[in-house]
Amino acid sequence: MRHGAGQQLRFNLTVLAVVSVAYLVLASFVANSYYQLILTLVPVWALFGVSWNILSGYGGQLSFGHASFFGIGAYTVTLAVVYWSLSPWIGIPLGMILGGLAAVLIGLPTFRLRGHYFALSMLAYPLAILYVLQYLGFQEVSMPMHRDHPAAFMEFAEPRVYTLIAVLLLVAGVVVSLLIENSRFGLALLAIRQNELAAEAAGINARLWKMRALVVSGMMAAVAGGFYARILLVVTPDSVFGMLVSAQAVVVTLFGGVASVWGPVIGAAILVPLAETLQAELGTYLPGIQGVVYGVAIIGVMLLSPDGLFWTIRDRWFGQKAPEPIPDSTASAVPVRPASAHSGAPLLKVESLSRAFGGLKAVSEVSFSIGEGEILGIIGPNGAGKTTLFNVLNGVLSADEGSARLDGVEMLGKKTFAVCRMGVGRTFQVVRSFPRLPLLDNVMVGAYGAGLSDRDAIASAARALIQVGLQHQSGVVAAQLTNKQLRLMELARALAGHPRLLLLDEALAGLGREECDDVLHVLAQLRQQGMTICIIEHTMHAMMRLADRFVVLDHGRVLATGLPRAVVEDHAVIEAYLGKKWLARQDA
Amino acid sequence: MDLEILIENVLNAVTAGITIGCIYGLMCIGLGLIFGVMRIVNFAQGELLMLGMFASYYLVTGGRVLSFLGPYWGPFIGAICAAPIVFAGGAILHRFLISRVSGLRTAGSLDEGHFGQLIVTLGISLILQNGGQIVFGSTPVAVRTPLSAEAFLIGPIYRGATVFLNKAKLIAFFVAILVAIVLYLTLEYTRLGKALRAAADNPTAATYMGIDVDRAYRIAFGLGSAITAVAGGLMATYISFGPFVGFDYVIIMYSGVVLGGMGSILGAFWGGLTVGFVQQFSALILPPQLQNATIFVVFLMIVLLRPQGLFGRSAERA
Amino acid sequence: MLAVHDLHAFYGKSHILQGVDLRVGQGEIVSLLGRNGVGRTTTCKAIMGLLAPVGRVVFKDRDIAGLRADVIAHAGIGYVPEDRQIFPTLTVQQNLELGLKRTGRFGRWSFDDMYALFPNLAERRRNAAGVLSGGEQQMLTMCRTLMGDPELVIIDEPTEGLAPKLVEQVATLLDEIARRGVSILLVEQKLTIALKISHRVYVMGHGRIVFEGTPAELLANEAVRRERLEV
Repeated sequence: MRHGAGQQLRFNLTVLAVVSVAYLVLASFVANSYYQLILTLVPVWALFGVSWNILSGYGGQLSFGHASFFGIGAYTVTLAVVYWSLSPWIGIPLGMILGGLAAVLIGLPTFRLRGHYFALSMLAYPLAILYVLQYLGFQEVSMPMHRDHPAAFMEFAEPRVYTLIAVLLLVAGVVVSLLIENSRFGLALLAIRQNELAAEAAGINARLWKMRALVVSGMMAAVAGGFYARILLVVTPDSVFGMLVSAQAVVVTLFGGVASVWGPVIGAAILVPLAETLQAELGTYLPGIQGVVYGVAIIGVMLLSPDGLFWTIRDRWFGQKAPEPIPDSTASAVPVRPASAHSGAPLLKVESLSRAFGGLKAVSEVSFSIGEGEILGIIGPNGAGKTTLFNVLNGVLSADEGSARLDGVEMLGKKTFAVCRMGVGRTFQVVRSFPRLPLLDNVMVGAYGAGLSDRDAIASAARALIQVGLQHQSGVVAAQLTNKQLRLMELARALAGHPRLLLLDEALAGLGREECDDVLHVLAQLRQQGMTICIIEHTMHAMMRLADRFVVLDHGRVLATGLPRAVVEDHAVIEAYLGKKWLARQDA
Repeated sequence: MDLEILIENVLNAVTAGITIGCIYGLMCIGLGLIFGVMRIVNFAQGELLMLGMFASYYLVTGGRVLSFLGPYWGPFIGAICAAPIVFAGGAILHRFLISRVSGLRTAGSLDEGHFGQLIVTLGISLILQNGGQIVFGSTPVAVRTPLSAEAFLIGPIYRGATVFLNKAKLIAFFVAILVAIVLYLTLEYTRLGKALRAAADNPTAATYMGIDVDRAYRIAFGLGSAITAVAGGLMATYISFGPFVGFDYVIIMYSGVVLGGMGSILGAFWGGLTVGFVQQFSALILPPQLQNATIFVVFLMIVLLRPQGLFGRSAERA
Repeated sequence: MLAVHDLHAFYGKSHILQGVDLRVGQGEIVSLLGRNGVGRTTTCKAIMGLLAPVGRVVFKDRDIAGLRADVIAHAGIGYVPEDRQIFPTLTVQQNLELGLKRTGRFGRWSFDDMYALFPNLAERRRNAAGVLSGGEQQMLTMCRTLMGDPELVIIDEPTEGLAPKLVEQVATLLDEIARRGVSILLVEQKLTIALKISHRVYVMGHGRIVFEGTPAELLANEAVRRERLEV
């Protein structure tokens, strides 16, 4: 569980219990069958919204085709009853399994896409299924009634039983969603949404988490669809696979509050009765009024309260909750890694690494090595290929040739998160944070990425924060941190993953002299603790003090390597990078 | 199958593919322009197509505004006249709604404003579709021209095989090509075109250079809407349509734009043309419902195998 | 050329600029110094119309406070921001071309001037700007801004992240800019550069100007240096 999850869960579960009971009590007083139907539909659409929220709200992968899963659930239940006389009590779980399978089949190819492409592709699936079903002749399938064993086939004379079942299904869905939200699953998804590359570099296997989210989401949507078919009794391709169905999940969640489990519930509770009532009252004079109302609702929400009602209400009336501080005792629980004796063999050995873009050789046959506990500075003119080198080592880019071995194990060819798990931490030239998450969570992502258990993760994150000196800002949202704090945050995030090697890309960029000294102090301490660091920097006075050796890159090639003093007096280096005046200034 | 009939079917499919494909190409250019310049996925593009159809319809038949042109010229001029109407509509939509969730206001924010754009345009789509149902009714209509029933006959080519060139579609084809060329010249050689390209690539930098990016976007959106509307007006001469017609063509538009490479207007045209081809050829072997499914399959394949499309470029650094 | 009177600016509720006064004369290089966070970049953005300014900003006898950024740019102020803003899918050459306010109409600067000053860019003439390194993009932004022939250039941390050798080239460029009669308002962290080339310097502290004078005067004033700057 995430830090502070226990309290969150207790609170939310209590609210859930209270709201469900209140709702059921309300439902018991309603006699009109039309309103009873509405009361049953609200939790169904809410559940659908909750399922969508897991993938698209937490994970940020906007899907416009969740009707695929909804429809699969609906048709499974219906066809099971019609062709195999299987009760919906079995049909719904069966639909759930099929929904999960469909999620895997859909996710495998489609997760190679991002953003717009992903959303549009997801749109295509339910529509394709819709056309195929129409072709196959399943225009309209109605569920037969079973006079002898109604209850066994989920047929009840009392409509309020359906409401009860719907609410129970919704409660199950909300509980699942809450568990996800408060676990590393949820944090991984939020991180992926806010900065996928940073999450990967911190060790999070984005593809795997997205797939998990889609499977859970698909299963939940299928359950909603299966039950929906049961209430509707007649299933047509358009009513469960159509655009409006996919839109329903999106509208309800966005209106109510995206990335929060309560959002879809609130959205469904408001929009479904509104639309249905309008349709009933005005449907004859104004056909399509429902669609217009939905359209206006979501445009209004997007303009006035872009994250949805829930967040606006929470922020305005309840304010930001102060986060639970991390107890200091947790940090000491993790043993400090002893500085290992130098075995003689280098920790990182890079040989003939090359990478070109089109005709441009960004990195050309670069070779160097770093010993354990050493600090290597990589310097060179702009465009020399330094960041590209890191990107290749890190797995962000592939290498054309060459090898890079960490303690004898090949790093190249692995995905970014896998390289991180080998023990390589990375910071970026332009800081990549998770802007809406508090500092502690930003660092926790690194701990989770390393695969630590919940308890070890919190301890590791706490220790990392103390190492960089940010333990008192753990609750500050990353968007509000200063530049120096952000740089230290990235360092802490990398440290939380217990790296053996740190790749720092311009960790001092944009810092004033004093701030620079602060960060250098942290780096020097890390060196004392035995950390191996490879750092790209232009701030020469800092590098002279920090680095044990330099590697100079120019036009993608290694120009010089050696001790700092020797390198800066090298003519070739002066010519290409430093300029004569710089050296003169140093000696002055 | 008899060789003569096979040849006739194939040749007709080819000509239909080209003529209809070019109209689809024009339709896709509209979407491509909006996406290329503003990086907005406009969910309501199908409804803009629909508006173009209805605008042309009312100009020609309902309001009798263009009835003096007669049934031969009227519908096609009507299609072109739909452009300024929908341009204005698009510009208004942008000014009051779209601009709030795109461009400089959202550049650099979480998701780059994608959520907002998709949602707002989805909302617009819902309102236009259902509002259209209220205003226009759901009975299908068409812009009648006797040309849609006449055809030029080419052949016989091989024994009895003849190619039928439907006159309405042929004229629509020429108009589509004409509009596309005019647009291309405008974008390539005028200052407006340069401003649009700069605003497309980096709105912040464009601002620093004195370009009013908001206005550029508004023009791009209006223009994109108008172009798609013209395509709609042209299509209105040979199909019948209702307020929900846009929906059938949204996936065609997106397939075309993605195939051509999002960001490339020329690509959008070729993409639309290709999709038109695939559709007409699939009609040879598949029943109608599966034709549309084929388009989806094509779309998915493009997106999975070559997402940058035929002409797209990608230049990015970590 | 430029005169700023009692400029205030806010980020949400934060009162960042609390009454800034400064002048830049024709052909002058004026540096704006101070620690991180005092409001130097905010001042630039307020002048440029990227933030809503409260106060008077007069450029060539015209009050530009409150005008849109692109209008101000058109009026003759060039802005080279801290984050490199280039056109990533266009080539280096196309980026420079887009800098011109009217196609084919050159002012003080020609393409050859730019390539002569920065041979790196000449090498990369036909590459898409998006694949250039960070420092190269920064150089490109400066050159592109100059192609628009501004009368005043506001430059925010041009040497940030540049190799020492390139820092020299930037200093040379700044001298050349002033030589051609263009005024410069420079925000810099590297004191040595700023002091070497500026005619006058301002030091900011907590949203206000706390020192105004020549570089020599600043060097002599140890109190201000110690209190307000990083040295």
